[in-house]
Amino acid sequence: MQGLALGQAATVTFEADVRPILKAHCFHCHGEDGSAKGGLDVRLRSLLLKGGQHGPVIAPGQAEKSLLFQKVRDGEMPKEQAKLSTAQIETLRQWIEQGAKTVRPEPDSPDEWITEEERRYWAFQPIQNPPVPGGAANPVDAFLLRKLNANALGFSPPAGKRALIRRATFDLTGLPPTPAEIAAFLADETPRAYDRLIDRLLASPRYGERWGRHWLDVAGYADSEGHTERDAERGWAWRYRDYVVRAFNDDLPWDRFIREQLAGDEMVRPPYADLAPDQVDKLTATGFLRMAPDGTGSGANNAEAKNQVMAETLKIVSTSLMGMTVGCAQCHDHRYDPILQSDYYKLRAVFEPALDPANWRTPQGRQISLFTAADREQCAAIESEAKKLDAERQAKVEFFIERTLEWKLRQAPEALREPLRAAYNTPAAKRTAEQKALLDRHPSVRQISPGSLYLYDREFNDEIAKLNAERKKVDAGNAADKAEALKKIDGQIRYFRDSLTKALLDTMAKKAADLRATKPEEPFIRALTERADKAPVTQVFFRGNHDQPKAAVKPADLSVVALRNNPIPEDDAARPSTGRRLALARRLTDGTHPLTARVLVNRFWLHHFDRGLVDTPGDFGKLGEPPSHPELLDWLASDFMKHGWRLKRLHRLIMTSQAYRQASRRLAKIDEIDPDNRLLGRMNVRRLEAETLRDSILFVSGQWNPRMFGKPVPVMEDEVGQYIIGVSTNDSANRPTGKTVSVGAEAFRRSLYVQVRRSRVLSFFDAFDAPAMEPNCTKRPTSIVAPQALMLMNNDFVLAQSRAMAGRFQRLAKGHLDAQLGLAWESALGQAPDAGERAQARAFVKKQVAVFEAQKEKQPGLAALANFCQALLSSNAFIYVD
Amino acid sequence: MSIEDSQFLSSRRHFLARNAMGIGGVALAWLLHEQGLLAKPVKPELAGRSHTLLPKRPPGPARARAMISFFMQGGPSQMDLCDPKPMLDRWADKDIPVKIKYDDAAGASARVMPSHWKFKRHGQSGMDFSELLPGFGEIADELCLIRSMHTGVNNHGQSIHALNSGRTVAGRPSLGSWLTYGLGSENQNLPAYLVLRDPGSLPVEGTWNWSAGWLPGLYQGTVVRAREPRILNLEAPANLRGGGQRNYLDFLGALNRKHIRARPGELDLEARIASFELAARMQTSASGAMDISNESAATKNLYGIDEAATREFGTRCLIARRLVERGVRFVHVLSGNQSWDHHHGIKNSLPKACQKIDRPIAGLVKDLKRLGLLDSTVVHWGGEMGRLPVVQNERNAGRDHNTYGFSMWLAGGGFRAGHIHGATDEWGHHAVRDVVHHYDYHATLLRLFGLDSNGLVFKRSGREQSLTDGQPARVVEEILA
Repeated sequence: MQGLALGQAATVTFEADVRPILKAHCFHCHGEDGSAKGGLDVRLRSLLLKGGQHGPVIAPGQAEKSLLFQKVRDGEMPKEQAKLSTAQIETLRQWIEQGAKTVRPEPDSPDEWITEEERRYWAFQPIQNPPVPGGAANPVDAFLLRKLNANALGFSPPAGKRALIRRATFDLTGLPPTPAEIAAFLADETPRAYDRLIDRLLASPRYGERWGRHWLDVAGYADSEGHTERDAERGWAWRYRDYVVRAFNDDLPWDRFIREQLAGDEMVRPPYADLAPDQVDKLTATGFLRMAPDGTGSGANNAEAKNQVMAETLKIVSTSLMGMTVGCAQCHDHRYDPILQSDYYKLRAVFEPALDPANWRTPQGRQISLFTAADREQCAAIESEAKKLDAERQAKVEFFIERTLEWKLRQAPEALREPLRAAYNTPAAKRTAEQKALLDRHPSVRQISPGSLYLYDREFNDEIAKLNAERKKVDAGNAADKAEALKKIDGQIRYFRDSLTKALLDTMAKKAADLRATKPEEPFIRALTERADKAPVTQVFFRGNHDQPKAAVKPADLSVVALRNNPIPEDDAARPSTGRRLALARRLTDGTHPLTARVLVNRFWLHHFDRGLVDTPGDFGKLGEPPSHPELLDWLASDFMKHGWRLKRLHRLIMTSQAYRQASRRLAKIDEIDPDNRLLGRMNVRRLEAETLRDSILFVSGQWNPRMFGKPVPVMEDEVGQYIIGVSTNDSANRPTGKTVSVGAEAFRRSLYVQVRRSRVLSFFDAFDAPAMEPNCTKRPTSIVAPQALMLMNNDFVLAQSRAMAGRFQRLAKGHLDAQLGLAWESALGQAPDAGERAQARAFVKKQVAVFEAQKEKQPGLAALANFCQALLSSNAFIYVD
Repeated sequence: MSIEDSQFLSSRRHFLARNAMGIGGVALAWLLHEQGLLAKPVKPELAGRSHTLLPKRPPGPARARAMISFFMQGGPSQMDLCDPKPMLDRWADKDIPVKIKYDDAAGASARVMPSHWKFKRHGQSGMDFSELLPGFGEIADELCLIRSMHTGVNNHGQSIHALNSGRTVAGRPSLGSWLTYGLGSENQNLPAYLVLRDPGSLPVEGTWNWSAGWLPGLYQGTVVRAREPRILNLEAPANLRGGGQRNYLDFLGALNRKHIRARPGELDLEARIASFELAARMQTSASGAMDISNESAATKNLYGIDEAATREFGTRCLIARRLVERGVRFVHVLSGNQSWDHHHGIKNSLPKACQKIDRPIAGLVKDLKRLGLLDSTVVHWGGEMGRLPVVQNERNAGRDHNTYGFSMWLAGGGFRAGHIHGATDEWGHHAVRDVVHHYDYHATLLRLFGLDSNGLVFKRSGREQSLTDGQPARVVEEILA
């Protein structure tokens, strides 16, 4: 593809051609971190001339005599399995042959050197505001057309109105248009019809749900902590999700949106109590920085896990806002991009006051309570009552231990009873060897403990059974002392009944638990905050090892894009916090940062056209793809900033373009010249994402529950280990109990509200490529595999929804099969069936009615219509958008 | 292990949807890439990765290509089945003079309990089995019996996780998931990893027994249920079986053909049509693999399918063979909940448990041998623990848990036949010679599949994780043929 070819100069130079190869493959052993195998450092031409223990490794003008060339040519170097390509070896040869030239004098030290050539990389240049070419009213079209025309291509004809409303509705709301909406759009023949459609869709609350989901992918939104197998649930992450949805619906300017997410806490003065709604919002926004997997809240509160929270948070921040794989510089200078290892730690220093390993707070310890004083009082009162119940239960436990001990002692030889009792009552550490041996021979005495009491109930129950049998016998007889004997037995039965522990202790425990459950639930925000008192020193970790800290660094943006005067303070005296994150957020959104706006508009573009102008939206570096339309990217970025960082405006601009409105049909000429459609001479056909597919099925089936916001819908494992919606009733050994807990209409809420437990991705989503958040997802793959087909053919969810859909259209058009078929068809596919299709549909339903009648199905008509609906829902016309 | 590379994604997904099994140009390109023959930069993982069940070549030489594991949940009593202890007879009913690690408190006793059953040596190897397992006696010369297994955690759950997923915690990938992740499957029309559950109940730890943990869901075990539909999503709903679903597929095909006529050249659409055809083939394959009606009477007799006591288990054994024949990688045959957990009444309950499985498993091993499949198929028999030499519950004696020394056996796939490895102490409590920890077993098993327990890793949360994960796993060379 065209892209930005930097072009290789006629002269091969060290900076432009040779150093990138050596940096990627050789620096690690020959130069970096004081490692110079064979005494050789290859980071400068001068050092190559100086050479190592075998003398100089280059002889300018004589490649064949240069050790460097010999070693790579013969495959002896690099030592790893991956060798240099023929082209790379040839570059080295040419360079030496041409005299091993540099562009300019080299620095004295090879450390922390960013070359001019690296600085000139397109993504680090200031965002331009290029002049809009002529030839089209919409600037988007103008830029695209220029390149299309240069390749003897142009736009495709416009898409039909039905295709267009379906495309726009899915794009902005993630749902299909209803037949009524389609009819209204078709009927509106005014020139403003399409603009009105876009306005309506942008005003829909569904817009925020749809576009919020895109951002949550990049933010790595999850309702669980990840990292460990336990993958503990995150109770309050959903507030951040809701904040994001609202921000999109309110068209919150993105500069503010970013600042709130990176530093909302620094805009609110602590202590964080009695908060106003906008303060709650700002603190909630910092949930963005609390999305990374966090093992310290999931059973791994150790140094490695803490370090990992920081590493994953930096990955999320840098891939989402900077389009840079900064994480690659955690252990060494980035191999391909001019990101120094120290840059990684400077960026880390921005976040370290809030994620300070030396003063770590677990996720629980970081939450901000929204409780009022009155709430607290009420809780304290309940708790003190509950404590009384605890004490009563504890007294009972002690009584039972005594009882059980007596019982077990009675079974021991009489002479051993007192020694056993003494041994048992002696704390384990103080027992004599003799006592220990004695208890070893009587393990059932030794093991009596509050936790094991229930195990002894079996013996008491056996005694009770025996006594009951005896009682029956006595009662049936006519002994003279019968009454006396019965009384005695009853006394014994009572004694053993009183010794039974489990039922009573469980009841007592439940009573306390039930009482505690009456406390009002304490609401929290999952936020990122700093502790005012401590600003840690950030150090570079040798080769990324957190237990090998080296030189201290100060907070800063990446060197290659940093301003001359570093705007990030060590400690902003005007605030209780350090002010580091707020300063970084301001820098990123100051309108001159070369990365932020480019990365954002590229991402927005991606969701409209299925591909970004830069097709690696999380990596604008050298390993990423170059932009297909660099001027358009820059123009969009600068226009976006100029007009207040407002996304809804950008949607309008893009969606009213001719490019967006053109047909998607492949044309031979485009396929020949531009097979990947990078020039956008037609629209791309797109598959619905996992969530959109599920939402659309619910929407057309009529089961959809439109409730917005709040706690996530729970996910559980079914008997075969599939993840489905529901509340798990498995027992403590994870065996199904067969009980069910209804979640009611919650089951039919939008996918956005389904719990994102990293270890339990809903099986339906998993099949259709929903990401596992580890830690985030900058671009979703779309696979086409048979399990997806099987899901659509046989899965319970699809079957149930098909039936619901059939019922819906049976009710809507009672007794009119033709109308039912037509409505179902149009609701799902956005097209009305033509005469041939109607006939086919009728014939199919008739055939299936016969099948179901033969099987004595109770409602063969409904079953057949359901199967027809299922065919619609599994058809390409439903799953793909033109 | 990664064979993912975005440059192949588009062509690969079309290829996969149509016929994931063949090795075409695309697959060849991955193999080349996998071997690192080109110095391509390793791209940071930004885009979501996709995974497949295409067969993958293991890095090392492989002896085994499939495995059938019989999981006897609860803990078979080694001193009553395959690890005779004359010492127990000498000390019958006396207090044991050594320290015992009990699990259950209330029923604990120090009284020694000898075995109720007689032992005999079998085959040329002279391997001991008690009279409860005559069938195992007949296949003794095929077996590699390990008497020195050790997990060291005395609970069912933790020990199950240790043996089935490498460590004692829940939520990790199971052995079958690792094998399918590492090797893919040789039959794209069947799930790679199948679980033949007991019709009565699930073992302790339920669905975690076949969990893919943090590996992609694709590598999770697929359960064959005791009722219809036997495999969820892989069988038509009851009312569409027979011609009903065919009609649906034909109608869907017509819809899709009309749709694609207006969108010529759109490869994704074609691929999705093909994926439905592949799905239909998978359904046929799955039901074909489960259908034993065409097996001969002699075969059914071999597996005990002609007898009430062994019919159900024998049928699952035969299905296991049919799956392995068809290239399925891993078949897990599960016992019911705690069916070998003989805390009390062992005298009556152990013979019943043995009777159910003895003849069918022996039949399977003989059948695999006859078909020439045993060389490449590992058969495993064992539970998550063994039992103690002393009485538990005086009134109705059984034996308590013992994870410090217990037995299991392996056959085929490169394990040393007719061999006894390791020993417990004279009481049968602790493994004392040539101890095999669960992780040693795993490292050894992976070796036979051409995999390396340190090399087969999955990167997650910034760390490379493996089945044995940091434990000092050793390949037990002595048990390899």
